[in-house]
Amino acid sequence: MNSSLKSIGFAAAMCVVCSILLTTASSGLQHFQQRNVLLDKKKNVLKSVGLVDEEADLSSAEIESLYALKIRPLWIDRTGSIVDEDRRQGDELPMYLYLQDDQIQAYILPIDSRGLWGRILGYLAIKPDGSTVAGFTVYKHSETPGLGGEIEKRWFQRNWVGKQITNRQGSLVSITVAKGAVADRVEKEKQIHYVDGISGATLTGKYLSGGVKKILDQYEPISIRFRQNQVSPDI
Amino acid sequence: MNATIAAVRKTFSYKAICDALWQANPISKQVLGICSALAVTVQLKTALVMSLALTLVVAFSNLFISLLRTQIPRNIRIVVEVSVIATLVILADEMLKAFMYDISKQLSVFVGLIITNCIVLGRAEGFALANPPGRSFVDGMANGIGYSSILIAVAFIRELLGAGKLLGYSVVPAAFYEAGYVNMGLMSLAPGAFIIIGLFVWLQHALLKKK
Repeated sequence: MNSSLKSIGFAAAMCVVCSILLTTASSGLQHFQQRNVLLDKKKNVLKSVGLVDEEADLSSAEIESLYALKIRPLWIDRTGSIVDEDRRQGDELPMYLYLQDDQIQAYILPIDSRGLWGRILGYLAIKPDGSTVAGFTVYKHSETPGLGGEIEKRWFQRNWVGKQITNRQGSLVSITVAKGAVADRVEKEKQIHYVDGISGATLTGKYLSGGVKKILDQYEPISIRFRQNQVSPDI
Repeated sequence: MNATIAAVRKTFSYKAICDALWQANPISKQVLGICSALAVTVQLKTALVMSLALTLVVAFSNLFISLLRTQIPRNIRIVVEVSVIATLVILADEMLKAFMYDISKQLSVFVGLIITNCIVLGRAEGFALANPPGRSFVDGMANGIGYSSILIAVAFIRELLGAGKLLGYSVVPAAFYEAGYVNMGLMSLAPGAFIIIGLFVWLQHALLKKK
């Protein structure tokens, strides 16, 4: 009895000490971590439009200044009109514009999709024709490294560039992650709407395809406005 | 001079480090910690950070467990050891997330998996429970260095052959590529690590047998 009491006491003391240590570390470092996460998001916005290369080792100041110079965050409502920051109701969708010499080079949609093990967060950049994908990035996910985790790798993301979210008739078809290589699996005329899948990660691909479709549906009003050339850079 | 060298050779630290580097190397002799050795050795940079994290975790877990060794009740000692290790690993992970975010993203789950690395629990259970804190700390350091030596060697070979780079800098001259040299894609995939580690294990066993 005495020895079990001692064990329980020791375990309890251990728990208290460990939790105090971890709580202190976690709350003490939270500030730094959040800054990193924010910066990483900005870096990924820039990456989705090809302004920052994966390998490039930019300082945080460089990323901040590039972001401030080229990217304009804005909000749109359900009908695809831009909403002023101070008139927001709460159900608007966030979006970013990539501007170069006062011309819109691309618009960037945040991706928030279900994955196999958790959410997949990233960005999808679309050219101002409202259909051609300019880039795709993932900055946060919980997929298995080496399998679903490959979605954060360059080879996977590079496949998205140049794909079309609409068909020839101009209606939305979204981008689907194929089950295997696009060249073997998909008919020739549909290949423009598919990207190569990851072997061993069929479900990740399936959920990501679903998530991207849902998000493109939500943003379809603004995409239509882009297709009809109704968006000017000075909005 | 010779006298100092002889004196150094007799110290516990020297013996522990030599042992861990060669005769009882955690990876190539005891074949422990293979999972992370396969996963983080595509690039030298991630291998270096992983080595540093693991070395610190083994050293400090050994130190704390050794300090507590007379207090720890026998029947819950594994639980206590694992909680000490887990606490240290989470601390290391939080530090990486705060100060080396990009690398921590690349290492992803593998920092967290140090908890399950057999080297750490093995040294805690096999050494720290029976030895004084100073020695335990040195033993942990030594084993961390032994692990690191293989990890860094494997990463060096894989990054050099697989990507033609070292620490992210291109080292294979462009003229080589023009002359038809091609990076060995196998080296950047997991089988490349299996082969390299296998070769290390084989080489070491062969050399040890000869003696």
